[in-house]
Amino acid sequence: MLASLEAMALVLVAGAWRGSLAAADGKSQKAPETVEVSIIDDVFTLQWNGSQESVGNVTYSADYATSEMDNWIKLPGCQHITGSKCDFFPLINFYEEIKFRVRAEEENSTSSWYYVDPFIPFQKARLGPPEVRLEAEDKAVIIYLFRPGKRDGTSIWDMDALSFEFSLVFWENSSHGEEQEIKTNFYISKMYDLSTETTYCLKAKARLSWKVSAYSPVYCINTTAEHKLLPPENVTFGARNQSYVLTWEYRDVNVTFRAQWLHAFSKLTPWDNSNEWKQIPNCENVRTTYCVFPQSVFQKKEYYFRVQASDGNDTSFWSKEKAVQTEMYSTILPPVVSMKSTNDSLHVFVKAPKKQFDTFTYEIILWENASHTERKLVSKRSDIIIPGLKPLTPYCIKARVLLQDKWNKTSVFSAVVCEKTKPGAAASIPWVIPVIVILLLAVIAFCVMKLLWKCFNYVFFPVFKPPCSIEHFSEQPFGNLLLSTSEEQTEKCFIIENTQSVIIVEEPEETDEDYRKYSSQSSQDSGNYSNEDESLGNQISEALLQLKPQALSCPGELVLGLSSLGLHSS
Amino acid sequence: MASWYILQIALLLSFTTSLSLSYDLLQLQQQQQRSSLACLKLLRQVKGKPENCHQDRIDFKFPEEILQPQQFQKEKAALVIQEMLQNVLGIFRKNISTTVWNETIVENLTDELHQQMDHLKSTILQERLEDKNMTMRDTMTTLRLKSYYWRISKYLRAKKNSICAWTVVQAELIRNFSIINRLTNYFQD
Repeated sequence: MLASLEAMALVLVAGAWRGSLAAADGKSQKAPETVEVSIIDDVFTLQWNGSQESVGNVTYSADYATSEMDNWIKLPGCQHITGSKCDFFPLINFYEEIKFRVRAEEENSTSSWYYVDPFIPFQKARLGPPEVRLEAEDKAVIIYLFRPGKRDGTSIWDMDALSFEFSLVFWENSSHGEEQEIKTNFYISKMYDLSTETTYCLKAKARLSWKVSAYSPVYCINTTAEHKLLPPENVTFGARNQSYVLTWEYRDVNVTFRAQWLHAFSKLTPWDNSNEWKQIPNCENVRTTYCVFPQSVFQKKEYYFRVQASDGNDTSFWSKEKAVQTEMYSTILPPVVSMKSTNDSLHVFVKAPKKQFDTFTYEIILWENASHTERKLVSKRSDIIIPGLKPLTPYCIKARVLLQDKWNKTSVFSAVVCEKTKPGAAASIPWVIPVIVILLLAVIAFCVMKLLWKCFNYVFFPVFKPPCSIEHFSEQPFGNLLLSTSEEQTEKCFIIENTQSVIIVEEPEETDEDYRKYSSQSSQDSGNYSNEDESLGNQISEALLQLKPQALSCPGELVLGLSSLGLHSS
Repeated sequence: MASWYILQIALLLSFTTSLSLSYDLLQLQQQQQRSSLACLKLLRQVKGKPENCHQDRIDFKFPEEILQPQQFQKEKAALVIQEMLQNVLGIFRKNISTTVWNETIVENLTDELHQQMDHLKSTILQERLEDKNMTMRDTMTTLRLKSYYWRISKYLRAKKNSICAWTVVQAELIRNFSIINRLTNYFQD
């Protein structure tokens, strides 16, 4: 029993061991380590480190998959590689994610896959150096630049051709050669004013956004001996009427010239047949040192021009290129003005004759038909409202276009347009002033009304009665005077003190002079009064001084509660 | 009372200054729309009669985030427009389009696109180009746009610049310009 058990155990162990061996055979390889993908221009390089335990002939294979497909595809050029890197040139969408996987193989066994993190090729790719081609003239060198990457239309940089910038270093290959650093977007550059039969060298690097390449190798070239026929010089550009005029200088006679033009943006794109120099009509085989051509041929913004001389057998090198911004020379046609009048303002419409350029500014001159004083307005809008004008007045307007961008060009003035303003209602803009006036008037009216109301009250509902002493003298027997008058006096005083504004009235018999006597007396006597009465006395004197007797038409009685002490003494 | 008038005057002043600041943006918006209109006019001048090309239609998958009406800053809108103009230009440079358009038309279209790109570079994108910190999201939008135009270019190459292929692309480009016009609305911030 025990023996059979032992035997079974042995068999089991042996079986297990064999099983593990078999398993090891199936996956005896360890997956490669540290797999990296590097991209320089259109070349993808896959690099890995084989695991240290691998012995013998190990090969590696790689697959790739893009987000657009579901399955893994064998990477061409990277199947069963014995080394530790492989190059490939996929024709894929460089702007979509891609993923890779690598495994090791040996005879029948393969390792597990090592998966590389997915990435976007365009982001990971680095710039290689640009390519340069040099062409020599006698005193100039033409530099043709080629952006990094393939030029068959399948490059990773194809869609960014317009965004490249180049940094050039140019020097004379001699002991005193100074380095010149140039930054340019142009695919073609030219270095002028060089010495004949001298060696010049150049190296370049490319830049795309934040990607920068290394410098290219150094390219050198010799300038030629001096050419017999010199190129034309001092090429200038001008406008005359509705034409452009290109002029140049040349010493010899018996030569013919031809002039060519180029779209400015052509220099930004890689050079090919579509952006070559074109012949200017009327400017081929001319004997004069100028040629005239209509403005209508050159309606875009920026051009280059160049001129060449020929004496039948030989042609000169091209002159220096003249960069021209046509905006600077073209004549601007005057605008068309129309007007509409409203109450006391004019609504002016300025229409530019042709939408040649983008930013227009208009200068409008306004004057009254009768006078000659002009008012100048500058506006960017094509409809303007001019406020604050006199109604029922004829005004005249003329306008012109100002291009204030770089050259302060103007057009001639438009035709004069006159219009009469309509009869005015209240001016719309200075509305603040009438409102303030109205408010002031309202306040004044309110005060006057209040005053009148008081008068009215005083006249028809008199608050003030004759002084207690007089009243009681007339009404009550003398005997009660001592008792009642004192009470009534205080009562009267109390009433008087309550009234702030004292109404002074004229007794029918009294004249103005008497009135004034009272006033002077009260003011003089104010010092004799007691303290409580002093303020009241001041008030009375003030009231007397302020209110002219003539202004009041209400009859009444003077307040005598107070003056019973003073006035009666006079 | 006086303080109320002062408030009114202050409001009026701030309104007019904000008007003057945004006026240049308004002009830029109008100018871009004029340019798009010019491009559309050129695109529509095909030689020959339009053929029935329905079987060649394909969805190029324009990036969704640009179509959805989310809030764009004016710099981002300008950047997207710039990328679109550059890539439309690229399509005409890389692929021969003379089966459908005259050479002069293509030249005029190229010039108009260049001019518009220059204009954007010297206005809204002026500061942008000096500041190299493009955010991650802007980069993703640019990449998705490039991917879209890459698909169009690949399609034209696969169909060997046939008239039908260009007719399909013409329709797609016309749609591009209406998207550009919609983006100019974000210039007003």
